[in-house]
Amino acid sequence: MVKLRIGYPEDPDYPERLAEFEARIARGEKIEPGDWMPAEYRRQLIRMISQHAHSEWVGMLPEGAWITRAPSLRRKLILLAKVQDEAGHGQYLYHAAETLGVTREEMVEALLSGRAKYSNIFNYPTLTWADVGIIGWLVDGMAIKNQTMLAQCSYGPYSRAMVRICAEETFHHKQGKEAVLLYARGSRKQRQMVQDALNRWWWPTLMMAGPHDTDSPHTPLLLRWGIKTKTNDQIRQEFLNEHVPELLEAGLTPPDPELRYDEKTGNWVHGPIPWDEFWKVINGEGPMNRHRLLARERAHEEGRWVREAMEAHAKRRLAQAAD
Amino acid sequence: MWGTEWPRYEVIKQDTPKSPPQMVGSVHATDPEHALLLARHVFVRRPSAYALFVAPAEAFFHVTQEGLKGPWSEGLEEGPEEAYWVFAKRSHRRSMVYGDLVGRFLAKGPASAIREALLHAQGVAFWAVPERLVVGTEPKEEVIESWFAPAKDKTYRLQSYYGLVTAKEVEDAP
Amino acid sequence: MPLDPYLKEALVAKLTALADDEVVLAQRLSEWVGHAPILEEDIAIANLAQDELGHAKLYLELRQELDGADPDRLVFLRDPLEYQNAILVELPKGDWAFTLVRQYLFDAYENLWLKEAQGSAYEPLAEAASRILKEERFHLRHSALWVERLGLGTEESHRRAQEALELLFPYAKQLFIPLPEEEALAEAGVVPDLRALEAPYLEEVTRHLERSGLKPPQGGYVPKSRKEHTEYLWSLLAEMQSVARWDPEAKAW
Repeated sequence: MVKLRIGYPEDPDYPERLAEFEARIARGEKIEPGDWMPAEYRRQLIRMISQHAHSEWVGMLPEGAWITRAPSLRRKLILLAKVQDEAGHGQYLYHAAETLGVTREEMVEALLSGRAKYSNIFNYPTLTWADVGIIGWLVDGMAIKNQTMLAQCSYGPYSRAMVRICAEETFHHKQGKEAVLLYARGSRKQRQMVQDALNRWWWPTLMMAGPHDTDSPHTPLLLRWGIKTKTNDQIRQEFLNEHVPELLEAGLTPPDPELRYDEKTGNWVHGPIPWDEFWKVINGEGPMNRHRLLARERAHEEGRWVREAMEAHAKRRLAQAAD
Repeated sequence: MWGTEWPRYEVIKQDTPKSPPQMVGSVHATDPEHALLLARHVFVRRPSAYALFVAPAEAFFHVTQEGLKGPWSEGLEEGPEEAYWVFAKRSHRRSMVYGDLVGRFLAKGPASAIREALLHAQGVAFWAVPERLVVGTEPKEEVIESWFAPAKDKTYRLQSYYGLVTAKEVEDAP
Repeated sequence: MPLDPYLKEALVAKLTALADDEVVLAQRLSEWVGHAPILEEDIAIANLAQDELGHAKLYLELRQELDGADPDRLVFLRDPLEYQNAILVELPKGDWAFTLVRQYLFDAYENLWLKEAQGSAYEPLAEAASRILKEERFHLRHSALWVERLGLGTEESHRRAQEALELLFPYAKQLFIPLPEEEALAEAGVVPDLRALEAPYLEEVTRHLERSGLKPPQGGYVPKSRKEHTEYLWSLLAEMQSVARWDPEAKAW
């Protein structure tokens, strides 16, 4: 197993080590498990990667609820594959975090006890089938912006997980866009359904990129250590510039009366984001927070006897092999 | 003793008969057979694979980039001579795989195996694992067809299946 | 091989019944997605569901070649009484033991059937069978592994697996009851003779179950035809068809 080498500011060689570490990052080298790293670098990574892993795992729930109701064989296959990918992405990410010396069990425990966060977006309910399309196109569209950036991350295992995830995630975005564009030109009920879904998911999607840079305490350090390479506002802007024209072309209207195109900067500018709601949801007061955690907890508890059975069987085999 | 968590197995995937087996990630499983099945479920959802291997994560001996500079194996290894699989991380380029298999080396310990590998291969970090702990799929047509080929039919998982989606095209769709 | 009208009709019915088993089983498997006992198995079960659904699609496309019926309409707008799935696959998902024992019983049947069906005189079916068999061989390995581990794991897992088997085993025998018109298809070499497969099936699964410390029960109610169902089917289909039926004006999904 890989032995971690973690540096603390009180270590005598810390300044020297830190300088080497930062020089490595500046040269574009990846930091790998077993390489020297500041304790704070490790802490931030565990926080981010585990949050990200939880988001994938919890994120299976709102869309997963619609697998059994998908309206065609093709959509059902696509949605199964997509929700399965989310489990896969969670799997890659938990393993990336494990390389920093934290176990999946500890991370799951932190999630179930409410100590760990996951993306706010999954605390909203999916009310109709169109939500699945909007989540694919917009929510995943925003997620991809973030993931593409994180594929450049200075920590090797996180970067590799992200490269793999990005390669798979583009399909999520495209299938969602395809469905939304189809419904936007479909029957009366389909058109209504998809506009309604857009209305409900628009602001939560914009909030996914995180607080404005001025309110984002971790960002400068994360940028300096190459964990992030863009700020929250930059990510949000990229998302808007890509998606707003396409939504409008499809005949859909984002629910923001102040949304406008700024000729000078070439950017789409949004109206005020309802941050009060964001902070409430993040602190547990969202519409589905309790349900999401309960579902995770139930699966975990109901799976306990299964995990114990597998363990007992494996140990018996090991004992037999030793005889 | 394991709590609710099963041991970790490194997963090594070989895409084609000619490409090197590569470390792609890991799975938690109770035994090698289970690990191999899960590795297929997790890492071959999409094409393509020719072979898949697993080995207990704790059995891997690792030398980091800094470690390579050295001294990383002063003591003489005196285990029984056996085959090791040695993997190297080739560069810092962005990638979704960690190490490539650079070869099998007979040695009396993992450090000696890596030292031997260094004579033949370059890399910025290395791993060695005893071959006897590596469990893999058989390179038989029947296995490849059953384990790996079906992923090719699942075209809806591939972004290329959707082409360039525009409002216009969807309007023309049936 | 050209099919006479009688055989064609019989084959349409058989393909639909084959697809119905897969669709309904996929629906039950889908209910696990997001809720499996460990993340890796969540991924595995979503693969099983996708594969079964893919097989349903293949069978229905074969039917479409024969009578032009639209696969989606058959799945999403057909009434429950017209479904011809076996009861084994429609029973509620139960616990992990129930799900994996059912999967094993079904996979073992499918493997046997598909091996024979590869020799179908109806070439498109022979091809489909050989394609599906590839995946099913892997499924069987996965479900057989689980049956063994649950059967021999802890007292609790053994009890749960045995209880599941008690309920499921008689229903597995229904899989070997042919459709009314199926005999003619078997005689023409279009499909395997189902009844001839039952004995080897029982022998094979009994061997694996016993090796896994489980005891196949004697007796129990075996449905006499695929027209029989339980009250669980209606709600399964009601949920599955809810979006498709919600908007009759929708031209495409």
